[in-house]
Amino acid sequence: MKDLVEYVVKSLVEAPDEVSVEAFEDADETVLEITVAGPDMGRIIGKSGRVINAIRTMAQVAAAKQGIRVAVELVETGDR
Amino acid sequence: MSKKREIEVRGADVEKAIEAGLQKLGVNRSEVIIDVIDEGSRGLLGIGSREAVVRLVTLTVEPTPAPKVQPKPAVQPVVAKRETAVPTPKPTPKPAPTSSNGSDVEATEADAEEKKMAEEVIATLLNKLGVDAQIDTSTSEPDDLTGRKVNVIDIEGEDLGVLIGPRGETLNAMQYLTRLMVGNQLQRRASFVVDVEGYRKRRQQALARLAERMAKKVVARRRPVSLEPMPPHERRIIHMTLRDNEEVYTQSSGEGNRRKVRILPK
Repeated sequence: MKDLVEYVVKSLVEAPDEVSVEAFEDADETVLEITVAGPDMGRIIGKSGRVINAIRTMAQVAAAKQGIRVAVELVETGDR
Repeated sequence: MSKKREIEVRGADVEKAIEAGLQKLGVNRSEVIIDVIDEGSRGLLGIGSREAVVRLVTLTVEPTPAPKVQPKPAVQPVVAKRETAVPTPKPTPKPAPTSSNGSDVEATEADAEEKKMAEEVIATLLNKLGVDAQIDTSTSEPDDLTGRKVNVIDIEGEDLGVLIGPRGETLNAMQYLTRLMVGNQLQRRASFVVDVEGYRKRRQQALARLAERMAKKVVARRRPVSLEPMPPHERRIIHMTLRDNEEVYTQSSGEGNRRKVRILPK
């Protein structure tokens, strides 16, 4: 699932080397925290969040297969 | 790296709006992502006509050597096939106009480079999703309006309902993402269609039947009927199905994902 999100995000950004996805458990769900470079934030969010929501939808398919719940969060790297 | 620019333009129809926008930006078609916001409508004798609105976003092209794209054969104008033979001469759909520098990525033939990359991206995605499925790519019929053929990538296997989701939501998310992923790699807009077990084809047929049924209702009652909100490609199917209907015409109204089609008596 983490692998899936990482693959999608890296294919969408200008700076794939700055992409990282971390998974941790929070209560009853798995949280996937995506980190991308500042200038790539817009690409991953998309118009009205369309891209990040599509990523969430795909992550949920993977999670459902494993019988778990997933939350996808987006974080920006760099200094600003 | 060139700066990303984005504009919204209007025109009498989608093609004209795109042309106007390209001119404004001073770029050619292969350098922008084209997003049709409103297909517009011709209305009836100019009444109730709406201008088409498109959004053009320039691709941020990195200064890499120009990719070697195999030269495409001269584009033959494709005359869109019609299911029912209509004797009245209709303006035949023209293929997308060739941009002045000759790099015509919007050719009428399906894009072979895009096909290869899309298959690869989708296969990888399925693998990472833990879904066991095969991919079967075909070429669509030429589009009724543009004469363009696109790659249709059908995912086949057992128990693939999860990939379709409620009202095709998951399938649409997957198509949206994979188009962006492939578009990002090719540095131009990808326009392939992703399908699961022929779901889109079945949905298309169901929508066409719905359109015909509702049109009959409108005629019988002499009253407009509104359909439930639908995504753009589904609304388009309704519009296209009733385009040549003598007794009704169609309109879209509402904003964003609340946008829906109205069928009105002529």
